[in-house]
Amino acid sequence: MSHQINFGIDLGTTNSLIGKFQNGSVEIFKNPFGQKETLPSVVAFRKDRIIVGDKARELIEKDPENVFSSFKRKMGTSESFFVPNTGDFKTPVELSALVLRELKNFIYTGEKPDAVVITIPASFDTIQSNATKKAGNDAGFREVQLLQEPIAASLAFANKQNNTAGLQGQWLVYDLGGGTFDVALVKIVDGEMRVVDHEGDNYLGGVDFDIAIIEKLVVPQLQQQGNYPDLLSQLRSARGKYNTLYHILLKKAEEVKVQLTTSTAAEIEFEIDDQDIYLTITRDDFETTIYDSIQYSVDLVKKILTRNQLTSADVMEVVMIGGSTYIPLVKTLVASQLGIPVNCSVDPTTAVAVGAAWYAGTRSVAAPQTKENKAAAGNAPDIHFKTAYQKNTADKEEYFTAIVTGPVSGLSYRIVRADGGYDSGIKPLQERISEMLLLAENSNNIFNILVFDAAHNELAVDAPAISITQGKFNIHGQPLPNDICIEIDDPENNTTKLELIFEKNAILPLRKTIIKEVMKTILRSGRDSLLINVVEGSRYAIPGSCVPLGMIEIKGSDLITDLVKGSDVEITLQISESRDLSVKAVLLMNEQEFSEIFNPLVRQINIGKLQDDIHQLKIQAASKMKRFKSSQQYELAATVQEIQSDLDSISDRLEVLSIDDVTDEKYQLEERKRKLAQQLDNTGKDQQIVEVTEQYFKQKDHCLWHIQEEKDEGRLARFEQITKEESTFLSSQSYYTIKAKTDELINLGWEIVRNKPSTWINNYHFYANIPPNDYTNPQMAARFMEIGEKALARQNYEELKAAVYQLHNLMPDDKKNNQPLKGTGIG
Amino acid sequence: MDPLLTLHIRIINQVFELDKKTAAKPELQSLQRNVDRIKQHFEEAGYTIVNPLGEAYHETRIDYEASITGDMAPEMEIVNVIKPVVYYTTGGQKSILQKGVVIAAAK
Repeated sequence: MSHQINFGIDLGTTNSLIGKFQNGSVEIFKNPFGQKETLPSVVAFRKDRIIVGDKARELIEKDPENVFSSFKRKMGTSESFFVPNTGDFKTPVELSALVLRELKNFIYTGEKPDAVVITIPASFDTIQSNATKKAGNDAGFREVQLLQEPIAASLAFANKQNNTAGLQGQWLVYDLGGGTFDVALVKIVDGEMRVVDHEGDNYLGGVDFDIAIIEKLVVPQLQQQGNYPDLLSQLRSARGKYNTLYHILLKKAEEVKVQLTTSTAAEIEFEIDDQDIYLTITRDDFETTIYDSIQYSVDLVKKILTRNQLTSADVMEVVMIGGSTYIPLVKTLVASQLGIPVNCSVDPTTAVAVGAAWYAGTRSVAAPQTKENKAAAGNAPDIHFKTAYQKNTADKEEYFTAIVTGPVSGLSYRIVRADGGYDSGIKPLQERISEMLLLAENSNNIFNILVFDAAHNELAVDAPAISITQGKFNIHGQPLPNDICIEIDDPENNTTKLELIFEKNAILPLRKTIIKEVMKTILRSGRDSLLINVVEGSRYAIPGSCVPLGMIEIKGSDLITDLVKGSDVEITLQISESRDLSVKAVLLMNEQEFSEIFNPLVRQINIGKLQDDIHQLKIQAASKMKRFKSSQQYELAATVQEIQSDLDSISDRLEVLSIDDVTDEKYQLEERKRKLAQQLDNTGKDQQIVEVTEQYFKQKDHCLWHIQEEKDEGRLARFEQITKEESTFLSSQSYYTIKAKTDELINLGWEIVRNKPSTWINNYHFYANIPPNDYTNPQMAARFMEIGEKALARQNYEELKAAVYQLHNLMPDDKKNNQPLKGTGIG
Repeated sequence: MDPLLTLHIRIINQVFELDKKTAAKPELQSLQRNVDRIKQHFEEAGYTIVNPLGEAYHETRIDYEASITGDMAPEMEIVNVIKPVVYYTTGGQKSILQKGVVIAAAK
């Protein structure tokens, strides 16, 4: 039995990548920690662990004795590196194997390839090539096939073009990366792609250009603007005054370089000696600065052409790879000086890995069937972990320890956080392991323990997940016993409703800022006011049935300017661990602030608000009474009648209560009102739930029918989201919950039908059948009907829609005779 | 990456810059509320923006890339944050969208 290799690795001097050929295309795998495709080819040996990649790169300059990079240049030499932290020597092969093992972690599919294609520079001789092969074997790949980097890049570009004709003749592969430059002449010889000649420089690349931006552009401009003695050495020296700035500038210079690939100028912004500096770097300046370096690379290409007695006409194209070929000057200089067409069709960063994977897709190896392999694949060692750690903590890091039983010798492990924010690095597995785990704040942190064999194959051991909750669910914190809501206007139903601010069981302290709209204009001279009423109780209940926690009333006389309807009010609510509620409201229109701290022991009652609540309850009671009577539910009607009479009695008391009454009566009345509200809410609730459930199913069918008719996948996903927990909310016995879901379905259904002409045609016919005299303005109504008829004839549905809206607005307002809602003024 | 997420990341980075400036300059304090509000909108949309400034530097923390200034020391801290760490939560799954870019130095 044989199988295709499929996996290809670009083992680069600066960065490495891994890709897989599958179903005719190549996927480049991403680092599970940070989602980058590239892994810096850097290995750091810390006292108790090995770190590979980005984090190792951080330490290169500061701990060069224990951190190794660019070891690819030493492949095949007898050189080895002493590691003070571990007290032993590491060869370039061993370091490369660590990089290759780390790349295996990128394979999210769970596959464990036993064979791989690894790319090598065109300059590698047999010993260097064999050394690369050994690194592959040491990393756990039984079979390693090598491929020269220029060939890999050529394959990537040929397959991208899907044009084998491009493979005729000879071409150049120009590879200018982060730190190295290579150029190769590639040719088809006897039907096979071969590197005929190559040149290169191991110390030329993008990092040099970043440094040039700082030293040749930023520093001179800075010196023109101010007096910074000895600036360059103060930047570059580790103990220099501006060394921190140097590191900041390196990052910013890299960004500028990227921006200049698409823009003709870029800004660099930083602070020096507490002064803000903005410098403009033009593409011309940048190109002048790096011109000599690029010219030098072109000269190396010319050297190849001369050596092989080739003219520009003999070479079909120059394939550009390596991240630095994004720089426009590189492309133009290569094209103009060589007179050969430049091909930039492949992603210069991934081209080599893509080509390696393409090649791997065409190569096959015999499947392994040795005892060893079977053991590795099938029988995971019998290893068990007995873990100990604190499951809840307020600290930002937590100590973890475990006793490990089973054959641990030769195995290694690493602990990683599921969100990708922590990686312990690779550590030898011992009978007792311990680690300080870093936690993401205010969330549940899940860590996984991964165990590897000597070849860094992940073993399927039964390692428990570590779950530590930081901050949010701290066991020392107090949970909220009820929802905390704010009361807002519900103009559609001429009443008020609750908006959830803090959910039940949330842990104190809590803070949240919301933005609400002012629903009515409040004049400085008027008697209207804005109420910010914070209540405690179920978010689904009616506001009147909840316990008031605190209210800020902003009266017209408090305002510095009139408050206009439609402006915003920013409300910040904060509840301390000792349950003090502080409310801050900022009227964004005039930046006026109002704030108050409410102690739960001091209940705030606003008599005006209480009167309005009673009024709203009376309306609701009357509506229920009407419904119960018409459905002949006389028992329920009798209960409502009792409630109505109690509401009347509270009203009577409130009439005679002065606004500044100092007795307890307003508290008693508020308490009675709240109980009546709950009672009213519960009366006939079963019937209401039946009705709203029926309505829910009706809307569900209606909505689904439209979605299926439109074959609207996006809305189908939303539909499924709304109905996902149907059994839970239907059995909640909460009218408001089911109503909220029904409303969501109505909205979703409306989103679909409002785009259909039939909706507006039907609506139009409805309004057109109403006699003009029934409209508030018969003349206008007749006019809009005329417009509607014409729009209908012309099938102009936008115009028809406008006519429908106008006719709707001319309908007599049923609510006109109602007493207007005093409400809160926010919504 | 989804172009919309890329756009959001760019805006978050700019808001982060604004935040740094408003925090450092009292005369810009009036902008702070607007900056906070934009940050809050992003957080409501599932983004977690983390500013590790002043926190201890850990080589095991992989949600930022650090440049180390001055000499290495056993106790190091983050002294400058060029880009914040951004996590994104979708479908209950939280993952890194942008690694932070920071400068670390001895305490």
